[in-house]
Amino acid sequence: MRDNRAIISRFLLTLMILLAINFFLPRMMPGDPFSLTSSDVQGEDIVIMTEAQRAYYMEYYGLDRPLHEQFIIYLKNLAGGDLGKSISNKMAVGDMIRIHLPWTILIVFGATVISTIVGVLLGTLSARNQKKGVDRFMMAGLIAFAEIPSFLLGLILLLIFVVQLRLFPIAGAVTPFADYGSVWSMAGDVAYHAVLPVLTLSLTQLTGVYLLTRNTLITVTTKDYIRTARAKGLGERVVWTRHALRNALLPVVTRTGFMIGALMGGSVLVETVFSYPGLGMTLRSAVIARDYPLIQGILLVIAVSILICNLAVDLIYKRLDPRVVI
Amino acid sequence: MFADDETRSTFPGLLSDLQAALDRIRAGIAKFSIEGKIGLFGLCIFVVMALFAPMISGHPPDEITGDSLERPGAEHILGTDELGMDIWAQICYGARMSLLIGLVVASVAGFGGGAIGILAAYRGGLADQILMRVIDVTMALPSLPLLIVISAFMGPSIANVIFILILFGWARPARIARSQTLSVKTHAYIVAARNYGAGSWYLLRRHIFPEVLPILFVLVIGITSHAIVAEAGLAFLGLGDPTSKSWGMMLNYATSFRSIYFTPYWQWWLIPPLVALIALLLCLAFIGRDLERVLDPKLRARRGAE
Amino acid sequence: MTILTIDDLRCHYSTDGSVVKAVDGISFGLEEGEIVGLIGESGSGKTTIALSIMGLLPESARQSGEISYRGIDLSALPEDEMNTFRWTDIAIVFQNSLEVLNPVMRIGVQVCEPMIRRKGMGSGEAEARCAELFEMVGLDPIWMDAYPHQLSGGMRQRVLLAMALSCDPKVLILDEVTSALDAFTRKEIRDLLLDLQRTRGYSMITISHDIAFVSSMASRMMVLYAGRVVEVGPTRDVITAPRHPYTRGLVNSTPDIFVYKDMWGIPGDASGGNGDAGCLFRARCTQAIDDCRRSLPELTACGNGWKVACHRGGIAGLMTARGLTFSYTLPDRRSLVAVDGVDLEVQEGEVLAIVGQTGSGKSTLAHILAGVLHPERGEVHFMNGAVHGGKAGHRFGGIQIVFQDPFSSISNRFTVLDAVREPLDINGIGDRNERLDMVRDALDLVRLPSSDLFLAKYCGELSGGQRQRVALARAMVMRPKLLIADEITSALDVSTAANVLRLLKGLQNRRGFAMIYISHDLTLTLKIADRIAVMNAGKIVEVGNAHDVMLTPNDDYTRRLVGSRIGLCCHEHHTEVA
Repeated sequence: MRDNRAIISRFLLTLMILLAINFFLPRMMPGDPFSLTSSDVQGEDIVIMTEAQRAYYMEYYGLDRPLHEQFIIYLKNLAGGDLGKSISNKMAVGDMIRIHLPWTILIVFGATVISTIVGVLLGTLSARNQKKGVDRFMMAGLIAFAEIPSFLLGLILLLIFVVQLRLFPIAGAVTPFADYGSVWSMAGDVAYHAVLPVLTLSLTQLTGVYLLTRNTLITVTTKDYIRTARAKGLGERVVWTRHALRNALLPVVTRTGFMIGALMGGSVLVETVFSYPGLGMTLRSAVIARDYPLIQGILLVIAVSILICNLAVDLIYKRLDPRVVI
Repeated sequence: MFADDETRSTFPGLLSDLQAALDRIRAGIAKFSIEGKIGLFGLCIFVVMALFAPMISGHPPDEITGDSLERPGAEHILGTDELGMDIWAQICYGARMSLLIGLVVASVAGFGGGAIGILAAYRGGLADQILMRVIDVTMALPSLPLLIVISAFMGPSIANVIFILILFGWARPARIARSQTLSVKTHAYIVAARNYGAGSWYLLRRHIFPEVLPILFVLVIGITSHAIVAEAGLAFLGLGDPTSKSWGMMLNYATSFRSIYFTPYWQWWLIPPLVALIALLLCLAFIGRDLERVLDPKLRARRGAE
Repeated sequence: MTILTIDDLRCHYSTDGSVVKAVDGISFGLEEGEIVGLIGESGSGKTTIALSIMGLLPESARQSGEISYRGIDLSALPEDEMNTFRWTDIAIVFQNSLEVLNPVMRIGVQVCEPMIRRKGMGSGEAEARCAELFEMVGLDPIWMDAYPHQLSGGMRQRVLLAMALSCDPKVLILDEVTSALDAFTRKEIRDLLLDLQRTRGYSMITISHDIAFVSSMASRMMVLYAGRVVEVGPTRDVITAPRHPYTRGLVNSTPDIFVYKDMWGIPGDASGGNGDAGCLFRARCTQAIDDCRRSLPELTACGNGWKVACHRGGIAGLMTARGLTFSYTLPDRRSLVAVDGVDLEVQEGEVLAIVGQTGSGKSTLAHILAGVLHPERGEVHFMNGAVHGGKAGHRFGGIQIVFQDPFSSISNRFTVLDAVREPLDINGIGDRNERLDMVRDALDLVRLPSSDLFLAKYCGELSGGQRQRVALARAMVMRPKLLIADEITSALDVSTAANVLRLLKGLQNRRGFAMIYISHDLTLTLKIADRIAVMNAGKIVEVGNAHDVMLTPNDDYTRRLVGSRIGLCCHEHHTEVA
């Protein structure tokens, strides 16, 4: 119980710091964040604000009031789910996130499932054939993948499968203006568009899961309790599934939780590569357009979901491993 | 006067200890596997490219020296970009940028963080408690989204990117150096040395630094890769310094070029920075893995337990 | 009927180039309902034997030989057929360790697991049986819901026992079951196991380095050294009169057996082999001869199911005395029989104490044994040669004697160098420099300085304790096989006496010579003696193991001697003779 409290208090502290960063960043900039739009020299995508818009933002952020009042207004708005209005396309930031978040969740979820399942399978295969050909081959191959950052891997896959082989669409999450005959054809189209982003994200996480499973399994099989289980004459299959895998999967569970967090972050870059209309892509366009309310809103959603995943892992792990003191 | 004596007698001592640590690393390199040696060789090539960029590039990287989007040829060995600037020159100067960022971030975050961790663990008490909380929170903060947003707000400049990367990079080495120092501190030989009258400085340089330094070296290589990736990623998103020539910026310009994938331009505009980045990262990874394996076989286990 | 037969079992581990022979040619049979004990230090191959019976050796091990259970060769069975024997026929109680039980499964589930999967019980039935088993091993069944880390070491050991009993096996292997337990738990577990054997007729193999535990359970005992059996026989015999020097060393290292004596381990470490064909124990042995270098000794029967593997047929006799008689003529011409028909045996490497009151004739006996006094009748044989007429004290590896009074045994006029070098000078051993080196070595041995300054000191300048050490060094310089120490501490104060005695025993332990220690002080001799001979009026009235003599004296005189200790003010005097 006491540990749970420690975990939760760390989570709350981190959350507060995150909110504070989010709050102070725009205010630390020279002048106010909205004067920049008219004087910025970079690029042609910048939207010049009208005076009316400017007035709205001054009002929304309460920029003419003292700092602590501003912070309270900020928290109040957050609590009410109000993330402000996007500068570039005049929509409420909350609505924009609601439109784009599902796509990010789709590929992050897909990549989590795929890399966990495939990683565990390959890791088990490798561990059972330790130091044999299969094992060595997989080790070498997968470790190389682990060192390539996601967006470069994405670019490579894009060049190979889209540009050269023309197997997959270059952008988007669905075929534009498509007329679906059934739910299934729509699901098929969505899956078809998601293949490359999911594959990219999966490959970046696969090695971690694979190595973790392999090494934990190899360690676990030398443990005394595996010998005890063998001595009981339970048979290889029972020994592996009931005793070895069960212990080896504990760290994998943790890893999966953290992986969701890492993938949420990584999806920003990967979505950009594949022009996939999730939060990441939206963040990128917001960055280019210097659409600060949108940037802040997206950051908040991504960061908070990462924090929640980590919190969940910490809490779940305590239930899974009885050795952790409750 | 006493302090003077102290400094005079211990400073060469520190140098010789550092020398010893470096010797261990050198001896370790001699034991590198094939991959490790390839990595080291590759890294040397990049360093040479970076150091002698003006001499080997042939063209300045930021001037229009040819037609727009020229194919690779005798004049421009890797061709030119949309503005007619030489790609090969940009790759050479990009190496400079990547290595500079990697080096600065890694040495400041790695060794600075390491020093903070060692001191906190050594002194213990409230400072250590506070540091632990700060490290916890810093590591719990999602770094990539924050990197993006902070650099978006602070404006695109190399100095800002380096600053932000250090801000998020120091926590891990500090934490590992701290736990390592704590475990060294429990050994009886520290108690024994203290009993013989050893001072803090002696204990730090004779017992603690030699234990922690090898781990920091391995970490520093990891941070270098991370910093290079992060800079490239930020630049790729359009948050790089537009006045600098970095591989990430090249990727950004190339991928922002409309219909690049429907033209052959990607072959000489997109591929070179992509290959350069991956090659550099693989070299660093090879070196890091081998260094870790060679310096201390127990190290992996310790980091695993950490 | 023999239920389990092990025939010429060998398990070799090959680790990058080198082969470790963990078990090297072991054979034994386990009768139905019998408890056999396996004893050995860590690394002697005990656990490897247990694992190979269960078929659980790691893949890196190469196993040969036959393990037959009721006529079926288990070692030849494929894994899935082996599984039909595990736990239902042969079960093992593992040594308690932190991870011997699966940390993420409740212990009840782990105990029920073999009953459900192997015996086909329903889970309700298995749980009921599990609760019964828990009761039986002295655990509250509520612990079934606990996880292994929540249990203490003793409780975990009980769980492991309950688990091993769950499928009602015929053979139970106990691998170091008590080594992690406190004394109370250890005894409880022992009693429980004995009870099980009596009531259920389990056959057991109990493996441990704990001689006391094994000897209290097993009817037969095997002593393992470096993967081979060095001695096997009925437990009582092996413990009370070990034949192999290694067994004797183990017994002597066991505080439970020698309650009063200081502990002295066997010097050296157990080695996997010397790299030649010789006896593996050679380097630590007190009686190695040339044969021991050439070949491995085989187990040879020496009656009553007792076997020993030693080229010298077990611990060899060093000295035998038969019918020794000596009398002094008193001034009034009466003769006083000081030694009256004494028979005595001294074995290689042992410490024999001869205890008796002043005037009992023990010093006279010592002088006869040393060969400095001729007996009237009887004879003394030392290493197959007669002591008298032979020159047992004139050579290396002979007999040396150290006398009671250091002031009279060493001349005041001699320098330390002269005194210690004397026997070498007399017998013309070595040249000048060699002698000097030997003297220095001897002085080092007795913890005296070997500096030139000290060597040049006159013995008259030394204290009593130092002079006794010089006398000891003089004896050690001749590298004796038998040292006779005649009341060497009686002239010294308590603290010096303690120092000299410990030094002497330490030397004996490291050097492996035999010693006859003559004293009137029973308490003191108990600290160092393996055997005690009690002497009264020229006769030896009782000989036996030091602890037996002390705890259960047979002779009246011995009883009086044991009871004659004054004891401190805080001791209850009337309970002294119990």
